[in-house]
Amino acid sequence: MNTSARMLSAALVTSWLAVVPPGIAAAGTPGTLQLPNFEAIAGKAIQTVDISLDTSLLSMAAGFMDSSKPDDAAVKEIIGGLKGVYVRSYTFNGDFQYPEADVDSVRKQLSQPGWQRLVAVHNSPGHSNVDIYICTVQGRASGLAIIASQPREFTIVNIVGSVDLQKLHQLQGKFGIPQMQLPDSKPPAPDNK
Amino acid sequence: MSNELNERLRAALRPVDPGEAFTQRVLARIASEPPRASLPAHRAARALELRWMSGALLAIVAAGLLAAHQWQAQHTQQGQEARRQVMEALRVTSEKLDLAYRVVKHTEHSGA
Repeated sequence: MNTSARMLSAALVTSWLAVVPPGIAAAGTPGTLQLPNFEAIAGKAIQTVDISLDTSLLSMAAGFMDSSKPDDAAVKEIIGGLKGVYVRSYTFNGDFQYPEADVDSVRKQLSQPGWQRLVAVHNSPGHSNVDIYICTVQGRASGLAIIASQPREFTIVNIVGSVDLQKLHQLQGKFGIPQMQLPDSKPPAPDNK
Repeated sequence: MSNELNERLRAALRPVDPGEAFTQRVLARIASEPPRASLPAHRAARALELRWMSGALLAIVAAGLLAAHQWQAQHTQQGQEARRQVMEALRVTSEKLDLAYRVVKHTEHSGA
């Protein structure tokens, strides 16, 4: 290959990488959202959670869980049916420092067929908004999306695959997962650890 | 009879000069033979070669073991990090589900 051909290939690869956002390979999977690049707001945030776990990383994580321990076994069971977990969460010093346009671009994806809004809670005085969406394909849940915004916090969660909220609920009080007070839920047995 | 035999034996076994030609032939043959010292040198070279090969083999095995150990350490680190991220993702998800519930509860109480 001569130099000009090599340069052309490099330019094509570079332009493809510039145009195609990361995670495009997973974008075809039902329940997968195309999350915007939040690099700009990540710089302003005082706390950032940026998690991208695809199938291979999830199975790797499952391999490091001890099935003989009930807590680990529960998590392993939950992530066993997942194809991806993507979390972007930013906490700021001041109020409303995140761009609404980015949030809207995600909301727009959630208005597409397949996605259905389960919960939409908007608290005007506290400016706490949470929208929970579920993606169903042929009657089966194949994805979950949560968009939560508070004045100083903004979070997007996208779980791809078979999501069982009941199983997730069983993890409350463990691994730092908060104790949820969902209706009709019995408090879990105290963790003796 | 014994004297005659004795004389004949003496005549047969008398010292004879082999001549200059024989001496030259012997000297030429000695010169043409390969030096006896070359055999131990060959063996020494072979031993050195074997020693180098063993050393190289040991180095390859050691490098392989080191690479396997590093891969294992890296794999463990990645696995632990993936596990930590799964837990963090579940924590954030539960936190937001809880926030949704709290907002609903708050709205219900406000409306009541």
